[in-house]
Parts: sequence; structure tokens; C-alpha cells
Amino acid sequence: MSLVVKSSLLNKVDGSAEVEIGRTKLVASVSGPIEPRSRQELPNSASLEIIVRPAVGVSTTREKLIEDKLRSLLQNVIIRHKYPRQLIQIVIQFLVTEDTNNYSITESQKQKLTSIELNAAINACYFALVDANIALYYSFSSVCICANSSIEEDNLKVNPDMKDLAVSRSHHVISYGITHSSSYNVLLIESQGDFSEDEFLKLLDASGDLCKSLHDEQRSHIESKIKKEFIWKQ
Amino acid sequence: MSRLELYSPEGLRVDGRRWNELRRFDCRINTHPQSADGSSYVEQGNTKVICMVSGPKEPSNKSQQNSSGAVIEFNVSIASFSTTNRKKRSKNEKRTIELNTTLERTFEQSIIRKLYPRTTISVNLHVLAQDGGLLAALTNASTLALIDAGISMYDYISGISAGLHDISPLLDLNTLEESGMSFLTIGVVGNSEKLSLLLLEDKIPLDNLEDLLAIAIAGSHRIRDLMDQEVRRHANLRASKLVK
Amino acid sequence: MGREIELSSNESNFIIEGFKSGVRLDGRKLDEIRQPVIRVLPDEYGYVEIEWGNSKLTVRVSAEVVKPFEDRPFEGIFTINTEISPMASPQFEQGRVSDDEILISRLIEKAIRRSNALDLEALCMVAGAKVWYIRADVNVLEFDGGIIDAASFGVMVALQHFRKPDVSIHGSDVIVHSLQEREPVPLSVLHVPICVTFSFFNPSDSEENIKGELNEEISIIDATEKEESLRDGSLVITINKNREIVQLSKNGGLPIDVFVLMDLSKKAYTIAESLSEKIKIFLQKEESERYKKLHLDLLEAGAAR
Repeated sequence: MSLVVKSSLLNKVDGSAEVEIGRTKLVASVSGPIEPRSRQELPNSASLEIIVRPAVGVSTTREKLIEDKLRSLLQNVIIRHKYPRQLIQIVIQFLVTEDTNNYSITESQKQKLTSIELNAAINACYFALVDANIALYYSFSSVCICANSSIEEDNLKVNPDMKDLAVSRSHHVISYGITHSSSYNVLLIESQGDFSEDEFLKLLDASGDLCKSLHDEQRSHIESKIKKEFIWKQ
Repeated sequence: MSRLELYSPEGLRVDGRRWNELRRFDCRINTHPQSADGSSYVEQGNTKVICMVSGPKEPSNKSQQNSSGAVIEFNVSIASFSTTNRKKRSKNEKRTIELNTTLERTFEQSIIRKLYPRTTISVNLHVLAQDGGLLAALTNASTLALIDAGISMYDYISGISAGLHDISPLLDLNTLEESGMSFLTIGVVGNSEKLSLLLLEDKIPLDNLEDLLAIAIAGSHRIRDLMDQEVRRHANLRASKLVK
Repeated sequence: MGREIELSSNESNFIIEGFKSGVRLDGRKLDEIRQPVIRVLPDEYGYVEIEWGNSKLTVRVSAEVVKPFEDRPFEGIFTINTEISPMASPQFEQGRVSDDEILISRLIEKAIRRSNALDLEALCMVAGAKVWYIRADVNVLEFDGGIIDAASFGVMVALQHFRKPDVSIHGSDVIVHSLQEREPVPLSVLHVPICVTFSFFNPSDSEENIKGELNEEISIIDATEKEESLRDGSLVITINKNREIVQLSKNGGLPIDVFVLMDLSKKAYTIAESLSEKIKIFLQKEESERYKKLHLDLLEAGAAR
């Protein structure tokens, strides 16, 4: 899996991570817990402010959609009652996406890219949240899969690029919450295209394994990060 | 469009002035004694500006209070009939906001703010007609109105614009000249050579900057003297009433 | 601005005292800029990452075919978008543009767009119907002062690094060729304006500044965030290597003697000279590497056949 992560790259925020998945490159930052504006304040849990900014132009409904999906996922992952009357501010800035420097892309292809970007944003959020030391119920990871004809093990393409999406019959973003690197539960499913129930169940199995292997990568990244940061330990 | 001759070989400009002549500068202070603490009216050629100052007063918003000195607010409104094309200008246009912040930061340094802690001084400027040198006229009108309001200041701030035509600097441009050459606007403190305001938006060669600043400073000292005359005239008028 | 950082009296006095003896917190001289680090990606045109000391930003230039404005049928459109998100620093609030942000974007606009750094007429394809719309998006990732200098520097690098796709015109039809199909073409950049920001500090009281003859106001180049929060005034000089001042703006603030200002503009010129040289060398190196890579790709393709 081609996942390149650099975390703690920004100093002014509490946590940050730069993630590259395929061609997509983005930075996520987390500030929190910080003081909210009075209308954001919730009496017994932390409020989340999620801002998604596109690589090109100003944010549109597409970015709002990603914000919304992220919010629904993160709300259940962050231990929000630990930070009452506080704000956790998450900014996702896309730097390179499939459609930058591409002049032959159509509007419908652009729509499909939302999945790739959502997947990248979820994974980047994880590293940024861990970097910011925000309490989480469990780890989470996400995969983007597209299937060509029928969903079979060997027909799946993980982390598709735009060309793969264009020829695929269906594409899915699936993220899992992972506790003790074994048991897992589904956090988010975003599916588009044409597929049967049977195929979908197979897909869920396949993506579970992928998310677990991604989680191993996450762990090894965090391990090396901790090694680097605990400089006072021999 | 045929190119207009902005500066003839004989040394005359479109409106018949020489290179270092100001336009007619006419100013009045205490024009609206009933409706503001201090007021002024300035005409610089055909640019006409009314200024009204109210304060020092209690701030409307507690969060704006500053215990170390007065908070200064500027509010420039440009009438839609001030130019030939009657464009409706919104208050939140970037250019207007820039004008406001520029004026605020200029006068923050020349008003003795520490004398008025926990108060607001608000300056409202109304542009009635525009014919070049807008920022300069706004600066001059604000200075006069603040003096009229009796607010302590270190010194006058006088504004003027100057442009560069080929290599000859021209003082106090009108709209026609402004659109044909690059120009700068300065705000000078009193009779010194210190600039509190300097704004240039178009290209000029670095080596001509010095000449341009020199005539601009001379021009602004002249403006300062004219404003000083008006302030003294008005003060004498008041003093004569007191004696009776 | 929302949650602006506030320095303690001790820290601010320490910084000012440092200036008086000519030293700064980060060890620079008073008239020394932070040397920028430029990064680009091998397969992206017009995407530049700039590290300006601790300030970090990315600039993305993109092109699109649009209909021109009715009053300017022969000109392409060029906009610069500088919106600062809370990622840069918690002092920037989402959805609320502060006055400082407006000043920053106005200045960058004046420095680059108003000074015709980009030749707009060269962006016209079919007069009145189809022109290129070039937009530069500046994304500030981290704010540590000097955003105007860094952003305008970044935009100028990105504009020169960008390649727009080649087009062929048949009557009023325009065919945009993809980057693989035909070698893309660079934009025509007419000059390279460089912004240099000076910050002023008043070591004595304001009476001395206005009435006195000492002229001992301190000016420093390229302030960091801490230094910016303490300054009494600033001056942004935009200048190019042809000795043309593109823009000067001292929006109020501490009154400064005119001879000092003349001196500063000469200093700005030497900085502009060295920075534009830096851009030139970087782009040349980048270009030759890209060219080499292209040749290798072609060779590989040839070998496969």
C-alpha cells in the first residue's frame, strides 16, 4: 500500500500530518482542545469544527460533503466527553489531487474523485489526531476500493487512480475502527455504482483485511515517531 | 483614444498649472457645529470631502475598550455621485476597507491616545466629489476635524499626491493625470520630513523616487500652512466672540 | 483578529533591547531576510512549496478556458486567492476575514496583478469568446510573519514554473491538448516583482519620534510573527531587478524620516536582485532536470519497442 506519512510538520497547531496516497497529497492539522466561539460551545462534550479546503479554487459543496462525512465518523471516534465546552478544530488542505494539471477531466469523473479524497482525508485525520494527543476510543483506517466487473478477490483495485475509477463498475470507501489490532467495526461506508448484496459482503471481508494491514502500518509509523520524540530516554 | 498631452513642452499641465503648483485648496472647519464634536470641509481642486468627528466617547461595544488609549475608528463613505459613472459602492469593498485601516493607522500615531483611555474617537468621512488625490484630501479633512474637536495631537498630518510624467515630477494630480501616470500619496507630520503615510500603486523607477518625494514634501508643507491659517482664522473668530 | 498572541512585557522588552544592540531572537542581523526554501514536485506544473523560515505556504497555479469580461475582450483573466485558514495559526478564524488579511491580499494583488507581471493579452485565444483564466491559490500552512513577502515570492515562482496546455485554434473552436499529447507552454511573465517588508520600532517615546531630531527609529527586515506583533509600523516595498518600484505601501504607523525611507528602498533593491537570481537559478535547474527525465523516459520507451 503506497502511503507516505510525515507528521508533526507544523508548529503552530497541536497536531499535523502530511499524507500521500497515490497521486493525492494533503495536509491535515488539528488544534485542540481550544476555546470555542460561544455559539459553538457544547455544555458536556467537545464540538468539532472541520474545514476542508480544495487544492484549486474556493471550497464548494463537494468540500462540504467531505466535511460532513468526516464529522459523522470523527464524532464517534473522539472521546468527546473528555473535553466539555471545548473545540477541536480540524483543517484538511488538499495539495495535489487527481484533477490538478489535468485538462481532459469531465464533471462526472470529478464527482467520483470525492471518494479518493474522502479516503485520503480520513487517513490523514488519524495521524493528525494521534499527533495532537486527542483521546480516541479506537484507531481507525480507511480504504478506497474499486471493482471492475463483478466483485471477486482478484478483480479489486485498491487505492484506484482516476483511470481505474473511470472504467470501474462500482467504487467504495470503507473505514473500520480497530481495537487491540484485532476486533474491528465498520465506521463508514460510501458506495457508488452497481453491485449485488453478495458481492458487497465479500467486499466487506476484503476491506477488513486491508484496513487491518493499514493499521499495522499506522502502528509502525507511530512507533518510530515515539522513538524519535522520546529523546530523553536512552 | 488619442493620447492627451498631460504635460506640454512649455511646461503646462492639462488644467494650466505648472509642475509644482497645487490646485485650489479650500478648507473650512467647524462646518457642522450642531451635529458633531468636530467637523471640516475640504476642497482640493474638484475633490470634495466632509469630515465629522465624534468623541472621545464611551465605546458602544465593551470589547472595543482599550485601557491604554483611545480606540480610533474611521469610516469612509464614498457617494455614488462622486464620480461620473454612478457605481454603487458597498461599504465592505476591499478598497474602502484598505482606506479605513490606512487612515486609522496613520492617526493612531499622531493623536495622543494615552490621554483618552477607555474611549472611542470615531471619524466619519463623506466623499462628495472625486477628482484625484482622494486619500490626501481624506487625510487633510480628518486632521482639521480632529483639531476642531479639540483632540490632542502631536502635529498636523498633511497629505498630498505627486506623479511622475516621464522624468518630470508633477504635484497634486487630478483624475485625468492620475489615470495617465504613476503617482504616490504621502502624509507628512507637521513641518518635518517624516512620513507617516506613503502609498504608491504603480511602477516608478527607483532613481526618480527621491525627486518625487522632494516635491511632494514641499507641497504638503504648503498644505499644512493653509490648514494652519484656517485653524487660526477660526480660533480668532471664536476668541473675538469671547471678549464681548 | 481573534486569538492574537500576546507577548509578556519581559519578552517584548527583551526583543526590543535586542534590536537596540543589533541582534534578533533567531540570530539574524536587522537587515537580513530569511532565505526561502523552494520545493516542487517532479510531475506537477505550477505547484510550489515555500518555506520562509518557519512560515510555510504552497502556491498552486491553475488554468481554465473561460469567456473574457465584456469590457476586455482581448485579455485573459488572472486572479490571486489568498485565504488564510486556521491551519496557519489559531489567530485566523474560519469564515471571517480580518482587516490584516484584506491588507495582505490587496498588497499581493497590487504587487503582482496590477503591475502586469503576467501578460494578460497572451492569454487570449479567441477574442471575446475564449481566453485562459489563470488563478493562483495561496495556501498558508504555517504563519510566522512575512506572509506578504513569502506569498508574492511563491506566486512568482509558481507562475514561471507553470505550463498551460497547448491549444490549436480552428476558427472559433479551441482544442485543448492534454499534457501528454503536446508539450505544454509556459506563461509569459513580463517582470518579477519581489516584496520586501520592513518593520519599524520606536525605542523612545512618541514625542521624540515626532518632534525630535534623533531619527533613532529601528527598522528591521522580514519580521517573524513575534516581531510583527510588537511593531509600531511597517513598509512594504515591491521592486524588480530593473530598478522599478512596483508598489510602496506604508499604511500609517510610526512616522519615518524620508531619507531613511530612501535608504530602505535601496536595501530592498539588493534583496530583490538576489531573490530574483535565486528564482532564476532554481527554475533553470528544475527545467534541465525535467528535460533529462523526459529524455530518459523517451529512451526507455524506445528500448521497449
